[in-house]
Amino acid sequence: MTDPRKAHDAEPTTHFGYKHVPESQKAQKVAEVFHSVAAKYDLMNDLMSGGIHRLWKRFTIELSGVRHGNRVLDIAGGTGDLTRQFSRIVGPSGEVVLADINASMLKVGRDKLLDKGVAGNVRFVQADAEKLPFPDNHFDVVTIAFGLRNVTHKEDAIASMLRVLKPGGRLLVLEFSKPTNALFSKAYDAYSFSLLPMMGKLITNDADSYRYLAESIRMHPDQETLKGMMETAGFERVSYHNMTGGIVALHRGIKP
Amino acid sequence: MLRAALLAGAERGINRVLRLDPTALPRLARLSGRIIEIDCTAPAWRLFLLADDEGLRLASSWGAEADCRLRAPATSLLRLALSRDKTAVLHGPDVEIDGDSGLLTSLAEILQDLELDWEYEISRWLGPVGAQLLGSSLRNPLHWLRESADSLRQDLADYLGEEARALVGQAEAQARFDELDDMKLALDRLEARIERLALNLNPDRPE
Repeated sequence: MTDPRKAHDAEPTTHFGYKHVPESQKAQKVAEVFHSVAAKYDLMNDLMSGGIHRLWKRFTIELSGVRHGNRVLDIAGGTGDLTRQFSRIVGPSGEVVLADINASMLKVGRDKLLDKGVAGNVRFVQADAEKLPFPDNHFDVVTIAFGLRNVTHKEDAIASMLRVLKPGGRLLVLEFSKPTNALFSKAYDAYSFSLLPMMGKLITNDADSYRYLAESIRMHPDQETLKGMMETAGFERVSYHNMTGGIVALHRGIKP
Repeated sequence: MLRAALLAGAERGINRVLRLDPTALPRLARLSGRIIEIDCTAPAWRLFLLADDEGLRLASSWGAEADCRLRAPATSLLRLALSRDKTAVLHGPDVEIDGDSGLLTSLAEILQDLELDWEYEISRWLGPVGAQLLGSSLRNPLHWLRESADSLRQDLADYLGEEARALVGQAEAQARFDELDDMKLALDRLEARIERLALNLNPDRPE
């Protein structure tokens, strides 16, 4: 079987928002977006979601079933919201690894966590989700919150996450998805294509990054497609929960 | 999502109160990593509690098995929340505990030992002099109110039990209960004796 992404001699392309870019450039372009927004990332998250992103993350932690002494990998952990909570739960005998491909986001996350006194059981690793630099069967829980849609080869990233999970370990993917109600979907489109870039322009002086955010959400696989991708990779008992009318979905799969 | 929002709000409020007691958080830290499930039977709802050195975490679900599970109707849970003597409520007949009951008892003890330092919280807003003035002007009336309420309760109990004879006094009731217990024991013995005699009179009858 030939990989459809490499069907032609020219460099295969992938989507970056609604644009198509050579695969080798996507990571660089995503990095530029996050370098640009890193400093005001938390503020923008609160403004854009009206603070609801905290409830989405809260539900992710509930469903993770993390226990004292567990080893947790928080991929694309950004400013460390999930890592901070996991660090509290796993305690001194556990470990949380905050991994992000973007150095700026990792730095903001590390500074924020250290300022809040989170230390001792947290490690910071700059890593690519497609090629995780960890041994096989290493983590009890792997989470990726609002990160998978920025990954160039999502299948490779899911396979990599499966590899580093212990058998019985859980992967939780929190990501924007497809609203379940058509009317609500229209209102959401209007909000994300007009208001979001405007807010981005006002707060971070960068409308393009937030236009990319809205576009990348539309290009991301919907609930059933992502579920299928996780099953194809080898996860079992894959299920998903829609939140806020399907704007966000939390997928969970177990490594057999 | 609404439930998660309510729980998040409640969690913030509870943890703010817990921070007012200087001993509560270090004691809660000792329960860190343990999961308590509260399963309300009527109406049906569930709540998970996790303690650590920052306070309590409330969750409507938890993806892992709880270390201790408390099953009780809402009335008992409310009594548990409001009662000063929480351990007595935990031993009630409609309360069911599975798993490590010591965990629940420890949490109940921490909550019932709470001594909130309101004056410290007020001093953060009004400064030490303002807090002292407000504290002393509130402390005396509060003390008087508490003593008056205690005294009123005692007087009312005495009046209804001893003077008006409208209610049975506690000592009197206890004496009647003891008599009833003795009578029940005597009846049990008599029943056993009659059975033994009946068996002697008619040895062929199957037991």
